[in-house]
Amino acid sequence: MDEKKLLGELSEVRLAIELIELGARLTLLESEFNLARTRLLRLYKEVSGGSPSKGLLPFSEDWFFVWNNNIHASLFYAYFQRLTANSGLPRIEALVKAYKLYVEQVTQDGHELVLDITRAWTLLRFFDAKIMKTASCNCCGGNFVMHAQGFERNFVCVICQPPARAGQGKEHMNYHA
Amino acid sequence: MTDTAYREEIEELNFHYLLLAQRLINEDKAGAMLRLGIAPDMADLLASVSAHQITQLSRTNQLLCQFTAFSGERLQKVINNRNDKGFSTLHAALLMLGNQGGGSSAMAARGASRG
Repeated sequence: MDEKKLLGELSEVRLAIELIELGARLTLLESEFNLARTRLLRLYKEVSGGSPSKGLLPFSEDWFFVWNNNIHASLFYAYFQRLTANSGLPRIEALVKAYKLYVEQVTQDGHELVLDITRAWTLLRFFDAKIMKTASCNCCGGNFVMHAQGFERNFVCVICQPPARAGQGKEHMNYHA
Repeated sequence: MTDTAYREEIEELNFHYLLLAQRLINEDKAGAMLRLGIAPDMADLLASVSAHQITQLSRTNQLLCQFTAFSGERLQKVINNRNDKGFSTLHAALLMLGNQGGGSSAMAARGASRG
């Protein structure tokens, strides 16, 4: 095996470890890396100390349109976009960096982490597949995640105009301003 | 008297800003560019500035770091959002990400057309 290939593999392993530590599902690793499944599985077990969960991936599009999920997803995507716009950062590295910045910001402000890394990755796949787009809020100018078929005209985001019963659920009880 | 105090404070802030910028850039350039809101060439430049040059640069009576380019109107909306459900900080973070240089040109065009 030549040296370049070995180095490439090494950096893939390093990234894979980081992703596993951030809670990524095995499927994510399998579709993003060229490493053999058996090696990934071993890596997963060694890093996480347990077997990967076997259930389906979070695949729902609708999840991203629940109001507070939408805020979290939009924030993550804004980090991702900025990271990829300004630097030649490879996509998967940008995912890791953007997710870390998202986690940092959300926990710094005392919020619960709503978006996990696998879902963040799913969101990127939705963007690739042109199932999602961002729309600029007519009130605050922020860019928010929206269904590709959604109307952008007169769009107002969920922060400027939260749904009537927003914030009354139990997910919000843990937050203290 | 007070003027001197301000000037010293500004100098100190400049100095710490440049030091922080250098540390951030050396650790992770892409992340630093995002946090500082600067372009790649500026990041390279700041990373290469010597300690002596940092002291020199700091000694201006103006701040080297400027307010993030999000308009007063938008800032107003974040601070005085009547519908605030505890998301002001995340909202501000999101708006800053959309507004810094290097964002999409569509965004800039939209901002321009709005006046």
